[in-house]
Amino acid sequence: MKRWIPIAVIVLAAAAVPLLLNPTGYWIRVFTFTLLFAAMAQAWNLIGGLANQLSLGHAAFFGIGAYTSTILLLKFGISPWLGMFAGGALGGVAALIIAIPTMRLQGHYFALATLAFGEVARVIANVWTSLTGGPVGLSVPFVPPGFAAYSFKQLLPHAYIALIALIIVTAIFEVIRRGAMGYRLRAIRENAAAAEVIGIDTTKVKLQTAVISGVLIAMLGTLYAQVAVFFDPDTVFNAMSISIRVALIAIIGGVGTAIGPILGALFIVPVEELMNDLFSAGAAGLSQLIFGVILIVVILWRPRGLVTVIEALRTWLRGKGAQS
Amino acid sequence: MTTSQPLLEIKRLNAGYGGIDVLHDIDIEMREGEFVCIIGANTAGKSTILRAISRLVPRVRGTLRFNGVDLTERAAHEVPSLGIAHVPEGRHVFPDMSVEENLMLGAFTARASSDLQQRMERIFDLFPRTRERRSQLAGTLSGGEQQMVAVGRALMLQPKLLLLDEPSHGLAPKVVEEMHDAFVKIHRGGTSILLVEQSVGLALDVAARGYVLDSGRITLQGASAELNENPAVRAAYLGI
Ligand SMILES: Nc1ncnc2c1ncn2[C@@H]1O[C@H](COP(=O)(O)OP(=O)(O)O)[C@@H](O)[C@H]1O
Ligand SMILES: [Mg+2]
Repeated sequence: MKRWIPIAVIVLAAAAVPLLLNPTGYWIRVFTFTLLFAAMAQAWNLIGGLANQLSLGHAAFFGIGAYTSTILLLKFGISPWLGMFAGGALGGVAALIIAIPTMRLQGHYFALATLAFGEVARVIANVWTSLTGGPVGLSVPFVPPGFAAYSFKQLLPHAYIALIALIIVTAIFEVIRRGAMGYRLRAIRENAAAAEVIGIDTTKVKLQTAVISGVLIAMLGTLYAQVAVFFDPDTVFNAMSISIRVALIAIIGGVGTAIGPILGALFIVPVEELMNDLFSAGAAGLSQLIFGVILIVVILWRPRGLVTVIEALRTWLRGKGAQS
Repeated sequence: MTTSQPLLEIKRLNAGYGGIDVLHDIDIEMREGEFVCIIGANTAGKSTILRAISRLVPRVRGTLRFNGVDLTERAAHEVPSLGIAHVPEGRHVFPDMSVEENLMLGAFTARASSDLQQRMERIFDLFPRTRERRSQLAGTLSGGEQQMVAVGRALMLQPKLLLLDEPSHGLAPKVVEEMHDAFVKIHRGGTSILLVEQSVGLALDVAARGYVLDSGRITLQGASAELNENPAVRAAYLGI
């Protein structure tokens, strides 16, 4: 029971933040994207953290999600809430198709293969003009506001939807991590040879994880589309700004832990925005450079992620408590 | 069922990696309750034989039967539940799990059974040091202790057949002896054992029968005593 108190406090605090921000302002947008990217990194954390497979192709599923719900809305007037599930299903199928040939690969080879698959998805989305509209991109049509239509005049509801999404994805991550599947994945991660000989179906568990991860990030693609309102293949299928970014967020925060992606997003998304804000007036690319340096410093300081700062803080507090 | 049906039946087994065969027409037969060893130099293909039995080598041709079951039709993850436990080469423990967790995972496919605690006690009796260190992380154990955990984890299955791949490789002589004593006890308890070793002397001491593997072919077979006396074996593997 006591475990739930800090979680409840954090959730309530997070829920209070958007109320303090200017509802039409810039920072509520940053906050919404922070939550969204935290959820995306958490979805990636299943495959990258639990199955220990460094996927650099998650933009493929994310883009499929964004396009599926938007195309269904444009062509058939289907609510993005339903489109989100259609996108999730397609994202899961795509994840399975990519995982079958790549899952056997280890380390760098898996990373490169998934990166290549992600790029293929981007190229297809650009070329398949009849379906996606091609490089011009898609605008999410404006429909009369309402929850059922997933249409809002303000960003505030989007912020709360992103928060709920983050809570759900984190809960799924944690349930899997603690359950039988998480135990199997842990055994594979710790010693693949030993996991094989005790009868763990290593391929099956990894494929299951890949599919769940793909479904979740594809569903989050719909959330992104609804907030962004306009997107093109080079945004949602982007290797750098989606695939590598979600992996980076999870790694900087602490891969394989439930709080890692949240800490990573809380750090990376606002800092990146701040850098752009501060330096964009000056030399172009300077913000990227400074951001890169900050990332390097953090990785050198906390190789196992920002989550270790919290662990250190906890031990320190406990020490204090014991003294008094 | 008559006892004349072999427990393990390998006939004209060819297996390899990436289209290249490393095993050529292997014939091995084991009866229930036997303790058999395969000896051979490094890269002879000893591990590949055990891995073929456990279905960890994808491409095999020939007959591979266990207790009448055609193993070629089974996947690797189905093998333990047939009663085959494999202790792979090297000390494969789950380093960040306790000794107890490692052992419990051995019975992964037998999760329904209620006597896991008793099984674990029997392993603690066999390797008393694992009892002392039951809550220690396996990765922090000595090499010999890790190997005991790996063997213990395989025994948690209560297998009919135990496959041991160079279990004493790289261990101190005293630990090797301890290990081999344990194998004799396990065998007395009714488990059939197929042991693979490079260090021939000890393997032939504990096993009743042996096969000599050379470049993927069985070149000699017979009772351990005979093999021990065989000038070719002595020259090749005992360094005499
Ligand atoms: N995973 C593998 N991929 C390719 N070749 C392998 C693999 N494992 C073993 N080999 C080759 O198969 C041959 C037999 O290896 P192995 O069965 O490990 O021999 P041993 O256990 O007797 O030392 C060796 O030439 C080795 O290089
Ligand atoms: Mg070997």
